[in-house]
Amino acid sequence: MRKTAALLAILIGMSGIISAQSDSLQANRYITRATTLGVGYTNILDTYLSPQEYKGIEGRVARETMRMTKLFNGNVSLQNFFQANLSYTHNNPDNNNTFAGLVNWNYGLHYQFHINDHLKLLAGGLGDFNGGFVYNLQNSNNPASAKAYANIAASGMIIYRFKIKNYQLVARYQANLPVAGVLFSPNYGQSYYEIFTLGNSDGVVKFTTLKNQPSVRQLFSLDFPVGCSKLRLNYLWDIQQSKVNQLKTHTYSHIFMVGFVRDLYLVKNKKGNPLPANVRAY
Amino acid sequence: MKSKKYITYYTIWSIAFLFLPLLFSSCVEEATYNNTPQGNFEELWKIIDEQYCFLDYKEIDWDAIHTKYKKRISANMTNDGLFEVLGDMLAELKDGHVNLYSANNVARYWKWFEDYPTNFSDSLLKNYLGTDYRIAGGIKYKILEDNIGYIYYESFTDGIGSGNLDEVLNYMAICDGLIIDVRNNGGGIITNASKLAERFTNEKVLTGYIRHKTGTAHNAFSDPYPIYLEPSNNIRWQKKVAVLTNRRSFSATNDFVNSMRILPLVTIIGDKTGGGSGLPFSSELPNGWNVRFSSSPHYAADMSQIEWGIDPDIKTDITPSDFNRGIDTIIERARAFLKE
Repeated sequence: MRKTAALLAILIGMSGIISAQSDSLQANRYITRATTLGVGYTNILDTYLSPQEYKGIEGRVARETMRMTKLFNGNVSLQNFFQANLSYTHNNPDNNNTFAGLVNWNYGLHYQFHINDHLKLLAGGLGDFNGGFVYNLQNSNNPASAKAYANIAASGMIIYRFKIKNYQLVARYQANLPVAGVLFSPNYGQSYYEIFTLGNSDGVVKFTTLKNQPSVRQLFSLDFPVGCSKLRLNYLWDIQQSKVNQLKTHTYSHIFMVGFVRDLYLVKNKKGNPLPANVRAY
Repeated sequence: MKSKKYITYYTIWSIAFLFLPLLFSSCVEEATYNNTPQGNFEELWKIIDEQYCFLDYKEIDWDAIHTKYKKRISANMTNDGLFEVLGDMLAELKDGHVNLYSANNVARYWKWFEDYPTNFSDSLLKNYLGTDYRIAGGIKYKILEDNIGYIYYESFTDGIGSGNLDEVLNYMAICDGLIIDVRNNGGGIITNASKLAERFTNEKVLTGYIRHKTGTAHNAFSDPYPIYLEPSNNIRWQKKVAVLTNRRSFSATNDFVNSMRILPLVTIIGDKTGGGSGLPFSSELPNGWNVRFSSSPHYAADMSQIEWGIDPDIKTDITPSDFNRGIDTIIERARAFLKE
C-alpha cells in the first residue's frame, strides 16, 4: 500500500513536471529566423537628379524573423523583416553612374487563416520604415537625393507546405502594399542648402497614399532541407515609387537571394536569471 | 458551414491578388526623348523650359528659341554639330551658370567677364604678396608695408576653418584696416563665403532672400525665404574693411559681396561683380551630356535681383600706366581709403 502510494506520488510529481515543461514551451517563443544574401538587377529614376533612368546591379541582405503571438487565441504572428541594399547603376549611354542605398525595416502582425494542413493565408499590417540615398556622380548642387519615408502597409501572405518524396518544403508568397505614410522630399527646384543650411523645410514632408506612392514589395521564398540545415531561396520583386512635389522617383529591383533558416526557441530570462550551469556557454 | 467559410477566404484572397496587376499599370515614369539629335534637342529645351529660374526675369521667349534652333537640327548631324547648336541655344540665357558638358567640350557663356576689363593680374599680385605670404586654408595673407592687412581668397571651393580665421584675424589685429580681395574668385561653396562674412558683423543682419521653383511653369516660385548673416562667436574684425571685386567675382562670391556690402565698416572697391545669383542644378540629356543651369534665385535684402552683378561703392579700374609700372590700382585705392 505504501509502495503504491509512493509510486502514485512519483507519477503525480512527474506528471506535474511534464505539464510544467509543456507549459513552458510556449508557441509564441518559437522563432523562425532567416538570413539571406543576394544580387539582382535594379532600375532607378529620380527626376530631382536626372530625367533618365539608371540601370545596374544591386546587392541586398535581409534578415527575417517570424513567431506566433498570444493575440486572438494564438492566431496572430509577428514578422520582423530588415533589409539593406546598395546598387551601382549607369545611364543608357553608359557615361555616368549613380550609387544608391536603402535600409528598410518592416515590423507588424498577420492573422493566420489555417485552410488545411498544407495551406495558410495570412493577412495583416506592417510598419514600413525606409532610409537611404541616390548619389549621382556628375551633378552640381543636386548631387544626391535623400530617401526617408515611413508607411502603414497592408500585407498578405500565402504559406504552402508540401513534400517531394521525403523532402519537406515550404513555399511562401508575400506582398506588402504601403497604404498611407509620410515621405521626405525637397520641393521641385529646392536645394538641400536651402532646406538644411538656411532652414526652409516648408513642404518637404508630405503625406502619401496609394496615389502618390504606388509601391509594393513582393517576396517569393522556398525553404528546403539540406542535410541538417534548412536553406531559403528568395526572389524579391521590389517596386518603390513616388510622385511628390512634382518630382518622380522609382526603384524597380529583381533580387535573387539565398540563405539559411533557423528554428529557435526563446528562453525566458526574467530578472536576469541565468541559464542552468550545465547548459551555459559563458 | 466550414467549407463556406473557406470559400469566403479564398474569394477574398483571389480578389486581393487580382488587384495586384493594377498596381503595375500605375508605374511612375518620366517621359523622355530618344537619343537622337532631335531627342537631345527637345530634352534640353524641356529641362530649361521647366527648371531654369530666370526666363521671366530676363524676358526670354523660350518658345521662340525652340523655333529658332529646331531649324538647325537634322537627323544626320554630327555630335560636334549638335553640341554647337545646343551651346548656342543655351547662350541665349546669358548666364555664367549655364553649361553643357560633353566628353570633349564645355559649352559656356563667359561674356559677363570677357567683354569687360580684367582688373586683375597675377603678376601685379605677386608685387604685393611676394613669396613670403602666409597661407591658412584657402586664404593667402600678408601685412603690407603701410600696416594694411591683405587677404586673397581665390576660390570659395577651398575651405576655411574657424581656427584658420581666428589665426588670420589675430595676426592682422595690429593693422589699420583690412583688404579682402575676391577678384577672380569664381565662387564655390556658399557656406565658406558665409563663414568669412560672419567675422565682420556684430549683429544678425538680413542679407537677402532665396526662392526655388515649385513647378514647371516659368513663374512657379516659392515665397521668398530670408537669409541672415549671424555674427561669429569667435574673433570678429572691428576696423574698416575693403572688399576688392572685378567681373570674375561670380556666384558664391557675388553672394559674399552682397552680404558684406550691408555691413557698416565694409566698402566694396573695384569693378562690378559678375553676378550669377541662381544656385545651379544639373540634369542630363539622353546621350549623357550633362547640363548645368540656374535653378534657385538669390535676391538682395531689398528683393532686387543680383543676377547681373553688384556695383562697387568705389568704382576703380586698373589703369594701363599703373599696370605698366607694376601697380595694382585697385589695391592702391583700397590702401588709400583704409588710411583715410
